[in-house]
Amino acid sequence: MRVSLNWLKEYVDIDVPAEELACRMTMLGLEIEAVERTGDAIREVYIGKILSIDPHPDADKIVVCKTDVGGEAPLQICCGARNMKVGDKVPTAVVGAVLPGGFEISRRKMRGVESQGMMCSAKELGLGEDIDGLMILPEDTPVGADARQVLGLDDVIFEIEVTPNRGDWASMIGVARELAALFRKQVRIPKVEFVESGPAASQLSSVTVEDAELCPRYLGRVLTSLRVGPSPKWLTQRLLAAGQRPINNIVDITNYVLLETGHPLHAFDYDKLIENRIVVRRATEDEVIRTLDGQERPLRPEMLVIADARVAQCVAGVMGGATSEVGETTTRVFLESAYFNPVSIRRTSRALGLITESSQRFQRGADPEMARFAIDRAAALMQDIAGAVVAPGVLDAYPQPLEQKEVKLRYSRTHALLGAEVSPDDQRNILERLGFVCAARDADSCTLRVPTWRHDVTHGEADLIEEIARLHGYEKVPTTLPRVRQNEQVFAPQEGRVRQLRHFLVGQGLSELYNWTFSCPQDLARARLDGAGAEMVLLENPLSEKHAGMRTTLVPGLLQAAAYNVNRGLSDIAVFEIGPVYRLAGVEALPTQELRLGVLLSGVPEAPHWGQQTRSADFYDIKGYAEAVLDFFGAEVAFDPVARDTFQAGQCACIRAVGKEIGTAGKIAKTVAKDFDVEADLFVLELDLESLLSLPVLRPQFQPVPAFPPSLRDLAVLVDRVTPAGALLAAVENAGGKLLHQAEIFDVYAGERIPSGKKSVAINLIFQSPERTLTDKDTEKSLQKIMKQLETQFGAQRR
Amino acid sequence: MQLQIELEILRASAVASIEQASDLKLLEELRVQFLGRKGQVTEILRGLTQLPAEERPSVGQTANVVKTAIAEALELRKATLEAAVDHAQAEREQVDLSLPGRRRRKGHMHVISQVTEEVLQIMFELGFQIATGPDIETEYYNFDSLNTPADHPARDSHDTFFVKPGVVLRTHTSPVQMRVMERAKPPVAIVAPGRVYRVDLDASHSPMFNQIEGLLVDEGVSFADLKGTIMLFVHRFFSKETQIRFRPHFFPFTEPSAEVDISCTICKGQGCRVCKGSGWSELLGCGMVHPEVFRYAGYDYEKYTGFAFGFGIDRIAMQRHAISSISYLFENDLRFLEQF
Ligand SMILES: [Zn+2]
Repeated sequence: MRVSLNWLKEYVDIDVPAEELACRMTMLGLEIEAVERTGDAIREVYIGKILSIDPHPDADKIVVCKTDVGGEAPLQICCGARNMKVGDKVPTAVVGAVLPGGFEISRRKMRGVESQGMMCSAKELGLGEDIDGLMILPEDTPVGADARQVLGLDDVIFEIEVTPNRGDWASMIGVARELAALFRKQVRIPKVEFVESGPAASQLSSVTVEDAELCPRYLGRVLTSLRVGPSPKWLTQRLLAAGQRPINNIVDITNYVLLETGHPLHAFDYDKLIENRIVVRRATEDEVIRTLDGQERPLRPEMLVIADARVAQCVAGVMGGATSEVGETTTRVFLESAYFNPVSIRRTSRALGLITESSQRFQRGADPEMARFAIDRAAALMQDIAGAVVAPGVLDAYPQPLEQKEVKLRYSRTHALLGAEVSPDDQRNILERLGFVCAARDADSCTLRVPTWRHDVTHGEADLIEEIARLHGYEKVPTTLPRVRQNEQVFAPQEGRVRQLRHFLVGQGLSELYNWTFSCPQDLARARLDGAGAEMVLLENPLSEKHAGMRTTLVPGLLQAAAYNVNRGLSDIAVFEIGPVYRLAGVEALPTQELRLGVLLSGVPEAPHWGQQTRSADFYDIKGYAEAVLDFFGAEVAFDPVARDTFQAGQCACIRAVGKEIGTAGKIAKTVAKDFDVEADLFVLELDLESLLSLPVLRPQFQPVPAFPPSLRDLAVLVDRVTPAGALLAAVENAGGKLLHQAEIFDVYAGERIPSGKKSVAINLIFQSPERTLTDKDTEKSLQKIMKQLETQFGAQRR
Repeated sequence: MQLQIELEILRASAVASIEQASDLKLLEELRVQFLGRKGQVTEILRGLTQLPAEERPSVGQTANVVKTAIAEALELRKATLEAAVDHAQAEREQVDLSLPGRRRRKGHMHVISQVTEEVLQIMFELGFQIATGPDIETEYYNFDSLNTPADHPARDSHDTFFVKPGVVLRTHTSPVQMRVMERAKPPVAIVAPGRVYRVDLDASHSPMFNQIEGLLVDEGVSFADLKGTIMLFVHRFFSKETQIRFRPHFFPFTEPSAEVDISCTICKGQGCRVCKGSGWSELLGCGMVHPEVFRYAGYDYEKYTGFAFGFGIDRIAMQRHAISSISYLFENDLRFLEQF
């Protein structure tokens, strides 16, 4: 809402500068989005008087004028307009002047004739669409005066954000009321004076409200013998300041009263109404209306319309119909001022996709009492400006006047809620300044009647305390620290584990990603994860096709992040993401949400160093991260070979821990990488964290430190190339018995020195006894047993 | 007498050859030659027994003096030679100190995670604990129970993603408030970080972003406590010099409600393009928990009061680290991620 300071001053005395006012309004809750000084865009424009008009020697469409702007000598100005005559007063921009849009006036020649300035049209001054020619000012305008003052461009406009609870702020009087309360002044409500004559309104028309629930109050007046024409300057200026386009005097007056009172009015052309009467009803099935913007709009039975005897003439509270629009030929008007049900207006406005000044005000709740003032105010202005004859009487359908609420305030509660001392007198005084009326009081409390415009006061005492806090000033409330007590019913230890894991992974050299959690079935198809698509949670109103639903896996996001970076020349990638995936869970239940970890590697996995050769990431890098994470959680893990379309055959492991499959690791299949626009090798790990997070935190139990030295042995065996080293190791551990403390593979070799189809696996063995120092005989015995087992199980030969 | 002269001569020649010994191996040979079991000094000493008894003490004394002198010379020379060896090794092993050291790959925690943790840490120290709720939320928790019934105009400003009737992507972290209050009786003191969603996309809006919610309910909690808590938080998170102002605002689920501005982190309150010349930038929304919310939670509004606050993690991360566009946060450009 645009609030003109000049206009505001008509309703309340303001004696602080505009900057301070803006600040005070902000601290009152009237958030100022922008402050605009109307004259700011204009400099060095003065009122000039045209002394002579002569033809240009070289151009038909240009004349050469001499214009007096109060300087030493008149200015010679070339001008393309035609609408002026000698003696006219016009706004004149002199050399060095600036016009809206930053347009600067300089001395220049037009077809050989010097021009020392420019005489301006209204449009050039940013004052409207008038393109007929120069802006001709009244005869008594003083020559040489600053055009900004003359044209009312010395105004300050505050752009106010009206919060949804305070519909009453969306008007000049509403803002004035608030400021009057703040500055302890009186609001000046304009006096309404007009003469009623001729046949009574009730003889000329009637109002039938068929649905009083959607329309609790409907007021109508009939005005005749009026002349539709342009509005006077003061009126158009007000509308322009508020950001509205002047149309004609009747429409402008309804808009003006809307801005002044916050109460929307509508003027029908009385003669276009069938039987000249009004029926307030719900739309019928298949009813259509052509609204003022020229659109045909199908209506639905839950929408309220203002109809004549037969057809809908207006979508109630939202927009008028084109048929009964007030135009140049209109001489009689039916003027409407109503109070509509806010919810109904909101629904209709949303259903039609039609948000208007009117609908916005009604949906926040108008003031049923203001309806009467507004209609009279408009009638008076129409009489004044358009010469209307006002038919005696108001048609007022208000079967069940809205009850005025009363709220009790305990002074001590204010203190408890705010933690600030405000005296009972001050508390009551603040509310009274805001228009609340004290109905009863005692030493500890008072009961206040709520003003009809305060729809936000619905929950009682707290609403009043908020008002007291606001006017008292939030800045005056002291600052204290609360006593904070805890509650055992709220405890989420897993969150702490997730934060630890994040630090752990960062310490392992990975950088963290944050992807949007949206996805789409096509993403899954590209990642060859089509199966998951059926479980995807889809959005009714997605941002785009690409964000049609919620992700079921982290993999596509990881691949997209890889593509983003690879395509920008960043080839060494080691990243992770911890985040949720979502899955449909039946018709009734909310979708499930499960925390996952994703890791992606590409390029060189280690920090490069001048002293060592770089190598590219391979399967064992991604497996290493999987092992590290499982180790972090203290979980036993198995990697089983598995075939998945997302991954390259032979380089994909299904990860098993805590008794189930909890993830996958491997090399992304070339075709998949290509579909994500990446040529490089990509290694991906995805783990379900939920089951790991629910594992008990590892609390290691002390084992005695060995008192006797270990005995170390290396064992190298030849086996078939396809024999899994892991199986070999498991057999070693099994056969090694109690004395075998540890077995680790330290070398795997296949090549020239080895028969083809074979590989050599070298295992480092540590034998250890807690009771004694082992002899060679002890270890040799164990070693024999191990070797025998390997021979029978794998056909292994010792090297 | 003869023997004493021999000893002196031996000393002179031994010391001379020791001082000229060029390496440790030679020095060891000299030690054996002079002091070894079959060494020259030993040989001489062995001859003592043939001397007349009265000569023995003085010759013996001389012999010991000579022995000691040679031993000292050996020690001295050994030390010198060892130092030379060390020096030579140091020379050989000299490094170029200016070459980079060997390091592990450095990982970077996302700035959102970093800021979240920092906020949590501050709140933990104040005694709050963490609580969570689902991203896909019912309208009941996201709106209705927070005093925002269907057709409430405040719903307009939320630009909600709908999953199906009654189910939305949560538009704020506030539903966690109700989920916690439903299962826990007061006192309650929680912080709830999480992803939230709105249908909005431009330089300052992302359809997914991150918020943190705070809720304290107990006997005697006041607006002054809210102010104090927020102020402490701002002073810790930004700086002690940061100015704060509370101004009235509207949220359906708090009353009184406030928006909190802090002095613009770019211009320090002088006014700049970022803060539209006001010197302030919006930080968070907060207020005293609305009686209607307590009614939904089944809390006694006469006995308990509470405050709640919520703010965008992304926004404060951007404010503090001067990040110009929110899109950087979710683009995953390594050149961005590695700055933090
Ligand atoms: Zn600034």
